[in-house]
Amino acid sequence: MKKKEKEQNIEKRVSTSHKGLPVVLTVSIVWILLALLCFLKPEQAVSFQERRLLNQFPELTLSGIRSGAFMEKYEKAAADQFPFRETFRSLRAVSDQYMFRKKDIHGIYYAEGYLAELLYPLDEDSVAYAGERTRQVYDTYMKETNVKVYLAVVPDKGYYLGEDNGYPVTDLSRMKEIMQEALPEARLISLEDTLSLSSYYRTDSHWRQEMLGESADRVLEAMNAEPFTDLEKQEATGSFRGVYAGQAALPVETEPIFFLTNDVLEDCKVYDMQGNPDITAVSPVGIYQPEALTGRDPYEYYLSGNAAVLIIENPAGDPERELVVFRDSFGSSLIPLLLRSYGRVTVIDTRYVKPKALGDYVQFQDQDVLFIYSSLLLNKSDSLQ
Amino acid sequence: MVFASLTFLYWFLPVVVLLYVLVPKRCKNVVLLLASLVFFGWGAVKTLPLLGASILIAYGVGLGMDMCHKRARSKQRKSKMAKCLLFLGIGLELAALFYFKYADFFIENINRFTGLQLSLLHVMLPVGISFYTFQMISYMADVYCRKQPPQKNLIDFAMYICLFTQLVAGPIIRYTDMAGQLKTHKTSWEDAAAGLQRILIGLSKKVLLADIFGEFGQKMQETSSPSVILLWLGAIAFALQLYFDFSGYSDMAVGLGRLFGFRFPENFRYPYCADSIQDFWRRWHISLGTWFRDYVYIPLGGSRCSKWKWIRNVFVVWLLTGFWHGAEWNFIVWGLVFAILLILERKIKLPRILVLLLVVLNFVVFQETDLSVAVFRLGGMFGLGGLPLCSEEGWYLLKSYGILFLLGGIGATPLCRQCTEKIRSYKWGGILLRMAEPVVYTGLLILSTAYLVDDSYHPFLYFRF
Repeated sequence: MKKKEKEQNIEKRVSTSHKGLPVVLTVSIVWILLALLCFLKPEQAVSFQERRLLNQFPELTLSGIRSGAFMEKYEKAAADQFPFRETFRSLRAVSDQYMFRKKDIHGIYYAEGYLAELLYPLDEDSVAYAGERTRQVYDTYMKETNVKVYLAVVPDKGYYLGEDNGYPVTDLSRMKEIMQEALPEARLISLEDTLSLSSYYRTDSHWRQEMLGESADRVLEAMNAEPFTDLEKQEATGSFRGVYAGQAALPVETEPIFFLTNDVLEDCKVYDMQGNPDITAVSPVGIYQPEALTGRDPYEYYLSGNAAVLIIENPAGDPERELVVFRDSFGSSLIPLLLRSYGRVTVIDTRYVKPKALGDYVQFQDQDVLFIYSSLLLNKSDSLQ
Repeated sequence: MVFASLTFLYWFLPVVVLLYVLVPKRCKNVVLLLASLVFFGWGAVKTLPLLGASILIAYGVGLGMDMCHKRARSKQRKSKMAKCLLFLGIGLELAALFYFKYADFFIENINRFTGLQLSLLHVMLPVGISFYTFQMISYMADVYCRKQPPQKNLIDFAMYICLFTQLVAGPIIRYTDMAGQLKTHKTSWEDAAAGLQRILIGLSKKVLLADIFGEFGQKMQETSSPSVILLWLGAIAFALQLYFDFSGYSDMAVGLGRLFGFRFPENFRYPYCADSIQDFWRRWHISLGTWFRDYVYIPLGGSRCSKWKWIRNVFVVWLLTGFWHGAEWNFIVWGLVFAILLILERKIKLPRILVLLLVVLNFVVFQETDLSVAVFRLGGMFGLGGLPLCSEEGWYLLKSYGILFLLGGIGATPLCRQCTEKIRSYKWGGILLRMAEPVVYTGLLILSTAYLVDDSYHPFLYFRF
């Protein structure tokens, strides 16, 4: 009897002591594997998906520990250098989208196969600031001249996508109104009806060059200039993942980048002035930059992406006719389509050049001047100088 | 360092567990003490000497009082010397708490009411000072009352105070609960499993619920078009965020304790299911409520005294409870509102829904350090201030976070636990659950990690207290 009781007790003890074994083993294996990878994984410098440099583990120093800087940097690096970081980011995005049914992920939403930024509410102060900066440029350089000034606002993708899918949309009319009030001398060119949802990339904030024919025609018509009629559509790459794909981390398919070209555009020379007003000291490049397709942002294929001041020389254009474009990144793909009539086009991005330096690059006399900004920039315009 | 961080989960904890498992039994407390010092020093290495000094004071006072007790003629008599030591110890601990946490509050208010221009000290608030100070006070008081002999081993004592599982945000663990475990703690498979499950439940509460409620709250605060519905949602979101944040931390603390073989008392029992304000405080931050009951309320006379003394006792306790949470007027008002409600409750039985409503409304006061903002928000919630019932942005946020509110509402009740228990009561249900558990908990680990990877900074709300 005693023996039987003893056996039962042993059996009970064994079963109790191993009760949690499956949970402990399964959870521990995953946990330990990830922890080991944290220790062993080599550091990565850049995240191409997020288009940013990743934090690196700091060097252990006494002063770093004392000030707390070491710990702070370590925490950031631990997140940035985590193994399978992109997979985990995607998992979170999918969970937000499908489990929590969140309408947006970090301000990016997915509808009708497109990723778009939630541009809401309208920040009137920000638009007014952009208007004020534009006004300042006009007053400094154009007030007493014969320049003809034009103004255009590029609608964001959400303008075409938001309302039908239950997302708030920014009041584009009010945005244009504020800009026009700031610069009544400019002729306002409306682009909304020349564009549609398919004019934009599915994974990026930008518009597609091959879909901008009508918009370019509208701008050129206002400026009384000729459009190209013989542009040929070619594929630059088939594997473009835009900025929104990286930000939202949702698993989306890549898409092609097309570009429009002809003999005239191939003969154009682009000078990236890079702070040097002397054009003879700069080596020209072409309108399109194939090497950008393998870089951080393939959209830089058009006019080399972000640049403070570019000068485009068009040997086939009218040497007496000059265009000056104040733009953001949306201008990069539109500007090549505006070149036909102009012998010289100066492209200025006041996010990267101070307006007081513009006199070194352009003598404003009788040019056509186009201010073209996207609603995305206008609603967050603090980068304009 | 915070529990809900990749550094803690994938760097610190695995190393500590590994060392803990590898070292012989007599060295386990040393490992835990050293780990706790690294954990504490990670965010505030400069405050380590203060923690060390506080520990030495409490340790010395404990030993001193014990010597005095031994010299006293009878066990019932407590010597005057022991009493002096107790007051000295408590005084020194409270002085440190006052200097680091409350000095600037008093200077600011003296300046405000007298027109003086005293300069602020701007001292850094040591993380967890409110928690460990209370632990040390309870230790000294318990030794003085001879509820427990003092701890003679300095390493064990320091480990009890510093143990990283509960050092910075509780629960406030009494020495009487820990004394027996300091030398005997050991981990079985069952402990490890229960500990891991509890850690992952706490982590998920924090990362998957509290932080997303926080994100909603942030959007609500930044809105350019406030509305009545948005203000209500903001108040409910904060109440749920606070609950999941703090109870999540407590779950992790209890789970981590279990992982190292300790049993800690529970700190939360579904407070939003309370049927009275008194019941709410028996379910919310239980370790703080019982601490104030045992070391302030009862010594003052509790409820076994005249009506006016009882009212005074209630006000003192709730004034201190509010002030413990932070050196701001809103915390004091928050505490006093609870005092009034508790006194009223003696006369009127509040319906359950009203209890919940009052708690949520009072958390608006708790959230806003600027009392005028709290008044604006409370007024706006009842249609004052001319706000619209709802705005476009309000609807959007409601649609976007609707599931979160639903999950939060369910998670704040014992519904999930009751369902699991019901399933477990069936033979096949039990087997099914045992099979599902490893998958569910591994899933929670992976999902929480995904949220941490994408957004690295997750401070716990109760750290500032």
